Amino acid sequence: MLKIILPTVMVLPTALLSPPKFLWTSTTTYSLLIATLSLQWLIPTYYPRKFLSNWTGIDQISSPLLVLSCWLLPLMIMASQNHLQQEPLSRKRVFISTLIAVQPFILLAFSTTELALFYIAFEATLIPTLILITRWGNQPERLSAGTYLLFYTLMSSLPLLITIMHLYVKIGTLHLPTLELTHPTLSTSWTSVLSGLALLTAFMVKAPLYGLHLWLPKAHVEAPIAGSMLLAALLLKLGGYGIMRVTLLMGPLSNLLHYPFLTLALWGALMTSSICLRQTDLKSLIAYSSVSHMGLVIAAGMIQTHWSFSGAMILMISHGLTSSMLFCLANTNYERTHSRILLLTRGLQPLLPLMATWWLLANLANMSLPPTTNLMAELTIMVTLFNWSALTIILTGTATLLTASYTLFMLLVTQRGQIPSHITSIQNSTTREHLLMTLHIIPMLLLILKPELISGTPL
Amino acid sequence: MNPHTTPVLAISLALGTTITISSNHWVLAWTGLEINTLAIIPLISKSHHPRAVEAATKYFLTQAAASALVLFSSITNAWATGQWDITQLNHPTSCLLLTAAIAIKLGLVPFHFWFPEVLQGSPLMTALLLSTLMKFPPLTLLLMTSKSLNPTLLTAMALASAALGGWMGLNQTQTRKILAFSSISHLGWIAIILVYNPKLALLTFYLYTIMTSAVFMALNKIKALNLSTILTSWTKTPMLNATLMLMLLSLAGLPPLTGFMPKWLIIQELIKQEMTPAAMAIAMLSLLSLFFYLRLAYHSTITLPPNSSNHMKQWYTSKPPSTPTAILASLSILLLPLSPMIHAIV
Repeated sequence: MLKIILPTVMVLPTALLSPPKFLWTSTTTYSLLIATLSLQWLIPTYYPRKFLSNWTGIDQISSPLLVLSCWLLPLMIMASQNHLQQEPLSRKRVFISTLIAVQPFILLAFSTTELALFYIAFEATLIPTLILITRWGNQPERLSAGTYLLFYTLMSSLPLLITIMHLYVKIGTLHLPTLELTHPTLSTSWTSVLSGLALLTAFMVKAPLYGLHLWLPKAHVEAPIAGSMLLAALLLKLGGYGIMRVTLLMGPLSNLLHYPFLTLALWGALMTSSICLRQTDLKSLIAYSSVSHMGLVIAAGMIQTHWSFSGAMILMISHGLTSSMLFCLANTNYERTHSRILLLTRGLQPLLPLMATWWLLANLANMSLPPTTNLMAELTIMVTLFNWSALTIILTGTATLLTASYTLFMLLVTQRGQIPSHITSIQNSTTREHLLMTLHIIPMLLLILKPELISGTPL
Repeated sequence: MNPHTTPVLAISLALGTTITISSNHWVLAWTGLEINTLAIIPLISKSHHPRAVEAATKYFLTQAAASALVLFSSITNAWATGQWDITQLNHPTSCLLLTAAIAIKLGLVPFHFWFPEVLQGSPLMTALLLSTLMKFPPLTLLLMTSKSLNPTLLTAMALASAALGGWMGLNQTQTRKILAFSSISHLGWIAIILVYNPKLALLTFYLYTIMTSAVFMALNKIKALNLSTILTSWTKTPMLNATLMLMLLSLAGLPPLTGFMPKWLIIQELIKQEMTPAAMAIAMLSLLSLFFYLRLAYHSTITLPPNSSNHMKQWYTSKPPSTPTAILASLSILLLPLSPMIHAIV
């Protein structure tokens, strides 16, 4: 683990000390190098956990997410270049350092085998995210977005802390592999139900579950591009990952916990997809689409079968890449037209033809067309949900239909049609942006060739 | 102030504190408390501002009343049991009286009303003394008598402190008052654990001292007495302002900063004592204070220009922040990874 975490920490001095001319180059190269190194985590082994040490260990659930987070760091740095261009050098350095500061905590959260350390790492991602959103956002509303983020997360995660401590006092260990053997919340007393609820709610807010999701669109809309990518690709996955870890730990759930969460997740997928249909704000649309996709992940996490877990894993990885790419695309539009409003950024295809290709590919992936892992994930999840109860097909089917329609809506509105008269001249798309999109889409397309890399089977 | 007076006052403060924390006899402890009170009063009122004089008067009256109660409780105890040993506080009435007296001295709810007013009337560095050093002797008395105190009463007062400290700080714009309410809610955390694990209470107090001193010294450096001054202070010491934000979030107890350590350990201890609802309540109540820390943090660095630039800019001062400020700031941010060691030492 330290092989990756220490170099990641050392990107900080690189960002702070490298000569101004090479600031972007060196940090991007360095973090790409780390991302390449991190690919070794995907090597399959016979043992349940790889690289097991006292506090960390990687299993099939964490390795794809770890690689995804290492992969996203250079992309986030790359995506922020244009928006920081006018800032003085010291602010650029501080921005990059804030981005890098989240990374070790995310890596720790995904790889730790100790529940208390997991909690600390899970919470520690909050402060850099808060700084990213509230310091580097553009509108004054970013302050309330930051407050929402902080308070939603903390309100739900303090019960988690209490429950973790309760488990520790009751069982005497917080080592996850040991805890998985004891099933601490198996009994049906109120305490167990409440601890189960507390264990789940923190991740439900982070994931986010419909009804607990209000912080997310706000945060996404206000955040700079790197913040949006971080939220969509990594922090939401922290929630999904937490749900899978915790449900593994709790064994079969009682229906008291099952029904409300499953209902909300599936109904939420439907509702947020419908909300997407009437969005006027591009970033908000993508954010709601994230909520809808993560609803499926939550539902799959609650079902707790092998199929549902691999479906959830695949969906998390492919959604991480897709939504991050969509945010990048939205940002390229935003940097040119200075507006996120769909009505004002219509019909850009004639002006940015190559960008239109990326839009097409990203949107096809988002509506899960065949050669993508998104489709595989959604099918797996729908099948498991159908197996659990046949009625869910109504909800999942409608949600899929709505997903396809709002994605098509997004594609058509941004790319096709008349160019609005106020867009008279627009800056060409740059090589950096194309590289950014390529680095998003290549793993997305390649993963379908070997999906078992990311379809972690729980052990 | 006369240059000879300050050392005299400083020595008296040190002397009073030392006498109280090292004494075994109630009268000596009381003497130390009184020396402390008398030594800090000139420091509070040295600016000769009406508010300062008012603060000094309020401070004197409350402390004198509290000291009288301490004396009364120890005499009652001596009357009933025939000894003056601090650790042998056995008489129930004197236990209650002592709890009330110390609560007045510390500013625990419901005896907290004097504290924000006094802090608001005194200079920042005196306010720092008032919220750290001046709480140490009374806290020592509580620690020494902790096994004979009433846990229900202390828990109730602790929860009320955490609640009111957080709640009343919400609409404050004066930094000293905000820090006073922050002190009150931190005292709640200290008081809730006092009976069950006195060493942990002491550890919490030490860490609180470190964090709040760092914040007070940073505010003193940028001369920020209210929120709007903080907003315009970023040009003076940009680095200090950025650190100030982390220090404030550390006071709020967010991981991975130092402030999380006492919260974590206290919650663990409370759950060990089968007090999960109390742990839950105090953890949730700490969110109230998080709100005003967050607002201070927003003001200190997050909203800085070019995003909102329609105000007068202040310029760099030539002097960088002092070494103690830097040390305290680093300690108040970075200590969490060392928590096993710190827990073992205290």
